[in-house]
Amino acid sequence: MLESARSRLKAWTVAGIGTAAAIAVAGVLGAFGARHEPLPVLAPASPIDTGEWLLRPLKAYVTVEKYAYGTLLKPGGKALVLEVEMTNRTAKSTKDYFDVLQASPATVDPATKPFIVLTRDSTMSPELHPGMPERMAYIWQLPDGAAAPASFNLTVIRKTYKPRDNLYGLPGWFNPTPAGTLTIPVGAGPDSPDIQP
Amino acid sequence: MRKSANLVLMLVAAVLCYGLQISKPHYGELIGPIPARGKLGDTVVGRAFEVHAEKVEFARKLTVDQFGQQRVLTTGGVWAVVTVEIAARSESTTIGVASWRGPTGLTYDQTERLSFMNGLLPVAIDPGLPRKARLIFEVRPDEASDATLLVSEKLVAALDSQAEIALGPVAVAADGLPAGTVDMLDMAQPL
Amino acid sequence: MTAEALDQENRAGERKWRRRSLWSLILLVPLALAVESYDSVKALLGNNDLFPRRVVWGESAQFGGSDWKLTDLRGAFGMSNLPPDSVPVLADFQVKVGNPDLQKLWLGCKIMLIDKDGRRWSPTSIISLKTPDNVGNCISAIFSGAKSGDTVNLRETFLVPKEATKSIRPAVSVASERPHFLLFHLEKD
Repeated sequence: MLESARSRLKAWTVAGIGTAAAIAVAGVLGAFGARHEPLPVLAPASPIDTGEWLLRPLKAYVTVEKYAYGTLLKPGGKALVLEVEMTNRTAKSTKDYFDVLQASPATVDPATKPFIVLTRDSTMSPELHPGMPERMAYIWQLPDGAAAPASFNLTVIRKTYKPRDNLYGLPGWFNPTPAGTLTIPVGAGPDSPDIQP
Repeated sequence: MRKSANLVLMLVAAVLCYGLQISKPHYGELIGPIPARGKLGDTVVGRAFEVHAEKVEFARKLTVDQFGQQRVLTTGGVWAVVTVEIAARSESTTIGVASWRGPTGLTYDQTERLSFMNGLLPVAIDPGLPRKARLIFEVRPDEASDATLLVSEKLVAALDSQAEIALGPVAVAADGLPAGTVDMLDMAQPL
Repeated sequence: MTAEALDQENRAGERKWRRRSLWSLILLVPLALAVESYDSVKALLGNNDLFPRRVVWGESAQFGGSDWKLTDLRGAFGMSNLPPDSVPVLADFQVKVGNPDLQKLWLGCKIMLIDKDGRRWSPTSIISLKTPDNVGNCISAIFSGAKSGDTVNLRETFLVPKEATKSIRPAVSVASERPHFLLFHLEKD
């Protein structure tokens, strides 16, 4: 009886050590560390690196004109315009800038998608090329009857680069996560000065 | 003797399998485009089309005609305009995609700022009737020399021809722009 | 039976079955290939025009549920602004609609010109010539609501090199008849 007890003890010990080792490895790899940390607050004056894009917010203002950089706005409504200098830091021309900046729901209706225009010649959402900084304007239509805010919050979304994705084995940028928030003061009109670094 | 021979065989098999695993081409390479290579001035023959790059011009600004009005297009880098002649080989088809790959591997797609103009891609080609087209790119001045022009019919040229035309070295002038950069190129000029 | 004799018998049986299995591979491997590629072959035949059905110019042929007749094939000379050495060619067809379900039968309708080397030309968008009101192209005919017994006039314009004008022949293909297609030719071809 002692024999079987000893072999059983050996079996239990091995199983126990194995389970403990598995849990320890999982813990080291971060399974238990997924706490919600607060998003870092970014300074609007310094460049923001999201991996894909290098962003430098320049100025923000509210316009009541009919057109902003060639985009037709709702008559009688107000639009929030954010001018930002963007540099494509990937190796290929891309227009993956539709989700990079998200205006806070307190200022803009979350369902409103911004118009994104190249300010150089008012082209709507062109591809931006690697290593070439361009001044873009994000134009959000403000809800009807909303007052022009003095400042508004932006969330910057970051994506990670995978050299081989899981479906085709081709490189791409995936898994959007918030990288930080910033508060931008809103000027009176298009003539407000750029934010200085 | 038997045991050591078995061990050696197992090690050889392990090394062989590891080698096979390391060298397996990835799905992206297996379904990628099939390159047809050539130089500036050569006629590069693909499966369904042939393309002949005639000349490359650089400019600081472009003049275009939009709805009867003249407009000037500026850039933060330099405009590269490649004049090509394309023809279909056996069936009518369209050439839709062209990119400029710089010497460091950065790939610049055709500019989308002139979408209202004629003579740009996509171009419909018929067998026996070559057509000229202008491929217009906005590139960094340091990506202008030793670049490769990539031309294909469809955006994802999976297992189909993609012409890779080496555009050759371009000297750099004192201001950092390619030698021979003109101040203005008129896109309204006939091809 | 001795153990040795049983052993011999078993081995002989094994050898017989091994030989039979190897021979059956000759049947099974092609069968497996055929089953695996069945879908691909079906797609290949359904998307390509491979087998011409020859029709003499002037006669009509049943195709896609209707009767097709080539009425005219001529070049349009004297136009300006054309690429060098090219000729616009017009192909006119008269179709007597049989089965009016054109949206299904004529889906993927393609009219092309084929020359003796097998080069194919699709209708051109570079030039457009004035057409009379009752003449349309294949796509507009599909949605014209033609009924059984109606006659539909079709015209397609092509741009071909001058040297190909002698040997080009019009061809019509529809998805419901692929891989077969109609090829109109002169009697002397």
